Amino acid sequence: MKPEPGLEKTESLFWALVTAPEGVRPGLDELVRRGAAAPGDLDALIDDGANMTPADRLDIYANMYFFRLLDCLKEDFPKLHEALGPGRFHNLMTDYLLACPSRHPSLRYVGERLPQFLVRHPLGGESPALADLAGLEWARADLFDAADAAPLTREHLASLPQDEAGDIHLRLVPAFTMLVLDHDAPRLWGELNDRIKARAAAAAAAHDGPTCLHDAAADAPPLPEAAPRRTRVRVWRQGFAIFHRPIADDEASSLEAIRAGEPLGRVAQRLSAGRTEAQATDLVGRMLQSWLDDGLLSA
Amino acid sequence: MPPANPTTRPRFLGHGVGLRRDHFDRVLSAPTRIDWFEVISENFMVDGGKPRDVLTRVRERYPIVMHGVSLSIGSTDPLNEGYLKELRELAGRVDPAWISDHLCWAGVGGHYAHDLLPLPYTEEALAHVVSRVQKVQEFLGRPIAIENVSSYVTFRQSQMTEWEFLSEMARRAGCGILLDVNNIYVSARNHGFDPVAYLDGIPADKVWQFHLAGHSDKGDFLLDTHDHPVCDPVWDLYAHAVRRFGQVSTLVEWDDNIPTFERLEEESESARAIQTRVSAERPATAARA
Repeated sequence: MKPEPGLEKTESLFWALVTAPEGVRPGLDELVRRGAAAPGDLDALIDDGANMTPADRLDIYANMYFFRLLDCLKEDFPKLHEALGPGRFHNLMTDYLLACPSRHPSLRYVGERLPQFLVRHPLGGESPALADLAGLEWARADLFDAADAAPLTREHLASLPQDEAGDIHLRLVPAFTMLVLDHDAPRLWGELNDRIKARAAAAAAAHDGPTCLHDAAADAPPLPEAAPRRTRVRVWRQGFAIFHRPIADDEASSLEAIRAGEPLGRVAQRLSAGRTEAQATDLVGRMLQSWLDDGLLSA
Repeated sequence: MPPANPTTRPRFLGHGVGLRRDHFDRVLSAPTRIDWFEVISENFMVDGGKPRDVLTRVRERYPIVMHGVSLSIGSTDPLNEGYLKELRELAGRVDPAWISDHLCWAGVGGHYAHDLLPLPYTEEALAHVVSRVQKVQEFLGRPIAIENVSSYVTFRQSQMTEWEFLSEMARRAGCGILLDVNNIYVSARNHGFDPVAYLDGIPADKVWQFHLAGHSDKGDFLLDTHDHPVCDPVWDLYAHAVRRFGQVSTLVEWDDNIPTFERLEEESESARAIQTRVSAERPATAARA
């Protein structure tokens, strides 16, 4: 009977080794160097087999750990992947998962801290727009399964007493958020989206042709260069589709006011500074129309 | 409150497949040859959006089984109460035929690997798992089923075989067993044990469900990839399982390189044909435990 090392120590060592960024054997060496493990701990823990050492066997788990999370992050951040190319994306995610291992039982939240992580990562220093791009992609991913709400219809709005319109408290749907970015990430998102589509079309054409050409530029594309530009973006889900749109300061402040619970009259009043009453009314009307069309308001 | 009738095998649901995003529209747009669907619980613990909507509509037409991957029943971390509340809420909404998860640990130190990590088969681990299964069952107010996982390591400290551990866990905790026939085959090849001895070592009355899936041969080991058809040796093992355990709800998993829904249906129909053929060999009574 060999009760040592016990379940807690077994799991702790197993975890440290399968999440080590360079693999199991270098991970063990690092633990030994830090005095957190003895050189023989792995061999004492795991049986060896016909053709595989304990480290080989644990490496299977190490690879599954990393590549499962990498696949998930690629799915949540496809434009960032396109911007960086596979090699840089892989290395960034290695750094990210080491610094920010998953804290939630659902894989869905694995990328939650990536935008903030990029701000302080060397790649984010080299190309600051990347953090904003990641922030936009995460906002879109995050709304995919946000709570549903019946949208406010024009008919319902029209049925409200018009002389009390100023007292109406509009509500935003749960699947809505606003971002304040330091770069024009929506423009970058659009360019990368076009690039992904073009690559897919080229790949489809090459598949029909005699050869499939290796696209060296896609492996390590030039990093995005975007001058700082304050950009407000609204992101929302309509039905099951996710949208985003840069918005002017007036619209952003109006949506903030609605989110804060201000009545429509107060929202309109805020817009009247520097405008005639007719101009302010017209602006409110156009914004309301757009919000109704996009399903931003809930019934 | 202890779960009611902990050893009772749930009703036979027939032949199911995993409900995957690629097939959402197909499943809802036309009749299928599938009797029931299994969903990954965590994918549906959400507030809204398409997955939740699809699940609601699929549930109106088919029985559903909830299959989790993050219960982490063998972890030395405390049970995640927030997760359990979400699981209970989902069960209240879906009314599943049963709930299952894996004999594994999924993380430690407050972190998740999103993988099914293996346990040493020791008395200490057994007592730990049994205690946690009982707590989960009390929290959910119903017994659960626990599935054997594919593994690539064995621990020197293990004191019993995997099937002995699984059987004793089910006996002590009053839970069911979800027997993954492909996982038995993969682990048997990886560790050199007899898969038939595994099946024969499991008490028949504890088995609630079978899983079938494909795997990949990596040369030195088999990897449980769920990206291939079920291979012939696993079909043979499934036939043996049907002989031993009788009529048990069976599910085909296919999670990567996902084929058309019609191809998946064919795989499920193959399982149905084997069950029908084996059942005709003799009365489909479960072997004695």
